[in-house]
Amino acid sequence: MKTSKCNLSIACLIALVAIMLALPSQLPGQTGAANSSGGNGTSATRWSVQVDQVDPRNLDLAYSFQIAIYENLVEELKKTNQFQQVFRGGDLKASEVPNLLVLKTTVEKYTPGSETRRAVTTVSGATKLTVRSQLLTREGKVVFERTVNGDVRFFGSNLRATHNLAHNIAKTIKQSSWSGSGQPTAILTGQL
Amino acid sequence: MDHLVVSRIHSDAYNPDRRYALWLSAALICCSLTAPAQKITQRGNTSGPFSIRTTHLLGFENAKSNGTGTLSVQDDSLQFQQNGEPSAKVKIALVRDVFLGEESRQVGGLPLTLGKAAAPYGGGRVVSLFSHKEYDILTLEYVDADQGIHGAIFQLAKGQGELVKSELIAQGATVSSHQDQSTKESATEARHENK
Repeated sequence: MKTSKCNLSIACLIALVAIMLALPSQLPGQTGAANSSGGNGTSATRWSVQVDQVDPRNLDLAYSFQIAIYENLVEELKKTNQFQQVFRGGDLKASEVPNLLVLKTTVEKYTPGSETRRAVTTVSGATKLTVRSQLLTREGKVVFERTVNGDVRFFGSNLRATHNLAHNIAKTIKQSSWSGSGQPTAILTGQL
Repeated sequence: MDHLVVSRIHSDAYNPDRRYALWLSAALICCSLTAPAQKITQRGNTSGPFSIRTTHLLGFENAKSNGTGTLSVQDDSLQFQQNGEPSAKVKIALVRDVFLGEESRQVGGLPLTLGKAAAPYGGGRVVSLFSHKEYDILTLEYVDADQGIHGAIFQLAKGQGELVKSELIAQGATVSSHQDQSTKESATEARHENK
């Protein structure tokens, strides 16, 4: 009787140890499965993007703002990892890439602000930018089109609005059903 | 001894002179303290390199954004050197355009911003009224080896931007026929501040 009890407790202990050993190895296995299923979605052709210079149209937008939007866009698009490569406007290497999209940014509205006014009044002096972002194929087909805003309302310099705008554009592209992988199927329009 | 006694006795008669001397010496000390801060453009002789203290806002390749350093023109390249970091260089021949603008910014950075926010009875707002400074914003457009367009923005003390621009033009940088934005931007800002 005593021997059978001892055997039972030993069996329980072995089972417990076996479960504990099996559990950590099972979790990475699950993660791996999840990763591989996620990877299936991105196995299609990855696109590269070329960022064109900002078109201010006839708006009185300071050149530093245009350059800041452009530079921030290049940085933010690189951060998203949505595109295989991010090229700058005029880059000769971009012509050698088979799947290339061109990001065009046109300024639609610009409200110049003042950092001092923001600091003094809090409610006024905001710098606001509204742009139209388009992703086009080499043939000129628009695959993505959105109106995106960027502003600075409280803290930070006026140029901070360009960073926020670029961040919003990159976020919009990432969140849209256009993922940067696979064929562009439909024109996406909207406003953020 | 006699002299000391006399001067103490007649101290009232000497007061205006002393005050004047004190004010003068204080003014001179202040001037000597502020002079090195203002003298940021170093051009020892005509053949020496042009260098200027500036803040790199963004864009210059291999340089940290919002970092302060020295912008210099050496040989045929524009260099930006931050403290203890290797200098970032761009050949002046690759600079396609130079623009100059102005911007008013709050000084003091994050510490002063926090201090102003913490000040009671809106005292921070009053401080903000006076704690701003005008800067020159120098914007450069240049191309890399693959003809990719880059832009860089530097913030300089007021009046220094024109010096850098002139130096770059003298060294062969091209400037497009765009209107110089310095007056235009400041006018926009002034209009906005008066609203």
